[in-house]
Amino acid sequence: MRIIFLIPLAVALLTATVPQPVTAAGPLHADIDRMIETAAGGPLAAVADDTEFLRRITLDLAGRIPTVAETTAFLADANSSKRTVLVDRLFASPEYPRRMQEWFQVMALERRAEKSIKPAEWSAYLQAAFRENRPWNELVSRVLFVEKDDKANQPATKFILAAGRKGNAHQTTQDIARIFLGRDIMCSQCHNHPTVDVYTQQDYFGLFSYVQEQPVKATSEFESVFEPGKQTTGPRLPGGREVVIPKFEKGQEAEAAKYRPRLLLARDLPQAANTAFVRTSTNRLWALLMGRGLIHPPHLDHPVNPPSHPELFERLQQEFVTHKFNVRHLLREIVRSRTYQRSSRLPEGVQPADVPEHRFRVATSRPLSPEQMAWSLMVATGNLQRMITGKVPKDSPFDAYNYINGNVDRLPATVGETMELFSWMMGNPPGENPDEYNPAMGHALFLMNEELVLDWLKPRKDSLIGRVVATPDNTRAVEQLYLGVLSRRPTDAETRSGVKFLDKNTATRKSGLADLAWSLLASAEFRLNH
Amino acid sequence: MTEITHPHACQGLDHDLSRRQALAILGGAAGTGIGGLLDPTIAAEVKRKQKQVLFIWLDGAMSQLETWDPKPGTEFGGPFRAIPTAIPGVRFGELVPATAGIADKLTVIRCMSTKDENHSTGVPRIQRGDPKNRGVTYPFLGSAITKLLGPPDNHLPPYMHIKPGRGGYMWKDAGFLGPRYGALGLGDGKPPIHIRRPESLNQQRVTVRDQLRQQANRRFTTGRLDRFISAYDYSFDMARQLTRRQDLFDPTTLPASDIQRYGRHPLGRHLLQARRLLEAGVQFVKVTSYHWDTHGDNFNMHRVMVPQVDRPFAALINDLETRGLLENTLVVLMSEFGRTPKINSRCGRDHWPEAWSVMLAGSGLKPGLIAGSTTANGAFCQDAEYDIGHLFHTIFRCLGLDAKTTQYVNNGQPLPIAHEEMDVIKEVLA
Repeated sequence: MRIIFLIPLAVALLTATVPQPVTAAGPLHADIDRMIETAAGGPLAAVADDTEFLRRITLDLAGRIPTVAETTAFLADANSSKRTVLVDRLFASPEYPRRMQEWFQVMALERRAEKSIKPAEWSAYLQAAFRENRPWNELVSRVLFVEKDDKANQPATKFILAAGRKGNAHQTTQDIARIFLGRDIMCSQCHNHPTVDVYTQQDYFGLFSYVQEQPVKATSEFESVFEPGKQTTGPRLPGGREVVIPKFEKGQEAEAAKYRPRLLLARDLPQAANTAFVRTSTNRLWALLMGRGLIHPPHLDHPVNPPSHPELFERLQQEFVTHKFNVRHLLREIVRSRTYQRSSRLPEGVQPADVPEHRFRVATSRPLSPEQMAWSLMVATGNLQRMITGKVPKDSPFDAYNYINGNVDRLPATVGETMELFSWMMGNPPGENPDEYNPAMGHALFLMNEELVLDWLKPRKDSLIGRVVATPDNTRAVEQLYLGVLSRRPTDAETRSGVKFLDKNTATRKSGLADLAWSLLASAEFRLNH
Repeated sequence: MTEITHPHACQGLDHDLSRRQALAILGGAAGTGIGGLLDPTIAAEVKRKQKQVLFIWLDGAMSQLETWDPKPGTEFGGPFRAIPTAIPGVRFGELVPATAGIADKLTVIRCMSTKDENHSTGVPRIQRGDPKNRGVTYPFLGSAITKLLGPPDNHLPPYMHIKPGRGGYMWKDAGFLGPRYGALGLGDGKPPIHIRRPESLNQQRVTVRDQLRQQANRRFTTGRLDRFISAYDYSFDMARQLTRRQDLFDPTTLPASDIQRYGRHPLGRHLLQARRLLEAGVQFVKVTSYHWDTHGDNFNMHRVMVPQVDRPFAALINDLETRGLLENTLVVLMSEFGRTPKINSRCGRDHWPEAWSVMLAGSGLKPGLIAGSTTANGAFCQDAEYDIGHLFHTIFRCLGLDAKTTQYVNNGQPLPIAHEEMDVIKEVLA
């Protein structure tokens, strides 16, 4: 970023204010509970039991369900601080950076294609950032801009180069605003937002000027479709002050060539002084764990859609800024809270209609991402190790599109191929906001009839079905299925009905066990992080 | 159905029947006789849900002068003659004899005037009916109608699109309604790959699996918020329905006589499949045919291509009527504009949005009616002229929807479902 020192610039001073100090009576996790519970307005769900907690925290921090061994060990552990021990272990495991990479990637790329940065380089780059717990503002700065000669950070350019954004400053503007500033400002391309006063066309083109590659383009002219009259703006953050574009004289060609407005965006946007950035960053990390933002949906941060808990929201931002955008610290405080550890079961006698989701009185259920589904299905069916050590057969290229159209004469052989297939079949379409992820018929058909999923339900030496087929006692077999798939022991009623089903079909026990396992894999309980 | 809380929720349907309610009501009514027991507003909802649409899209634009609005013997008339139709005094082009023979079942609007002469903007403008530039992407007609009518009770995917080339889930159709209102694209009529049950599973096991799955869901739902669970269940219901109807996609089971009547060319096959889908209860069936943009050699091309619409279209209208489906099915056959009266130096006709024709039939329409007219040489509308908004108002009204009182709400912003300054084309309504 040495260029900044070469050229005199008016630093973009933001009119927006830094979050005001709020009553911080204790550590953040205690403040979360105090503030959520004060505003609850009704009975709170009980603390999640160990199985519920174990499954949730493993999905959130490792991106998969727990193994049978992990579940039984955790349940048997009598240590009163075992939850904290588990949290620390998960944060330290190599699965945490992988989970964060998958989450960040879906948020940032929105499943857009991009070929110049290899997926492995991009993954490794993001995983290193989360493993080393690089400050959030630094990571965001890198995805917004890195110099061409900065080899180490080149993978970060994938964000800007992604299909639909590359060469399309409007798409880039809208995506940066939505993803990092919590503003869906598409309307403002043509006029001020009709219902959200703060989403102005001036702001839109301020950001639009920032994403340009050359100084001559850093002033945008625009006109509202409603009110005639041309206006102009240079680079400017929403609510901020315009950056003055330096005039380059003859002889300064080298400086001019290096002056790129987007470089300034990478400097100015991920700053503690940029309220929109701090709000959206904090809100997204909260939503990652809590299943719902304090501002909901996260891309609509504006005065008409205020945070559900304003004081808590300020407190979280303050913590995030004070701790220099320390992602792991913020996540750790949240998962330590009672609020995170609440059950998804309604309190006794409380009707679903009486529980507004934004009060966080009950844990919010949300669908597993395609990545979580893939990892969890491999863990549940006992095929993870086989897929990790799987080798791509020689001269047998795989791509998801050709595979589902029957042009690849084999199943996915590796985790990478599996991920590509799940992303294709269960992910949102490219460029579609991943905050809005819903179940679709295609996902159901995939679980029903995909050969790979059915293959995972074949009896193998270490597979789930292999294990239960080798367990002659049906009660034990049913318990193994529930532990393997749903990460809990069956209730008495579930054991009874499972055993009854198996006893009725002794001749076809093997397929009956697979059918029972499938029904649990296809259940809402499996599909949800609850 | 329990809808997932969605910022794009459509307020006009807040009162809509839930799927389960509808099923329960229909189930109950079967025992006691349909009639007085149904709340009148609910009866109207149920009736509205049964409406279906067949939307035939001739991409690139078929010439109105060679089909529904011939001007033989005039300066722009071209080489073809006009022939009498089943409506006394009304003539169609000689390339559409089959359709002319059933004109008394059809409704033609001859004075469409839509202003946009580019394919790139015209196609979306016509099919999305963009009432205004609101900075949002409006849904295509199929997404709009499946959203506005609400889910049908048969659990089949409500919006299917038969087209040449590739299929797959066409989420972009849905615009701001969100991807789940997209179309299930059937590339050359073929269904999604995972509809096929692998040989390792038999039907009995599939049924058992699904029963066990439902049992597990019932247990899990108890004492929990239902936001997601029933939507997830519904996606399996829909998948199950579709896998049970593989016949809808199997061309080998079609009677040879039907194949003969509809034709073996893509449009013939696709319209025959459309009939099947409509019979099965699919709410909105779209059939697309490409390559109608006849800037050169317009007349030879129309001589080859128009019969590929004429025969299967007439066969389809007859079949829908025979099966009692026409009354509740709205059929629309159209392009993004018409073709220029003026014949260019390549014997072609160019884009002409100023005065062109749309063919309609079925639900809510006055059959055997020709609405509007064009000047003697076909260049402009005479008296009334209708824009795309008028057509959208009319289409919605034919399905029991009032575009004046129904609106979308997108991110808190109310949006009209059709041009606010326009209204229905009264003369075509029954």
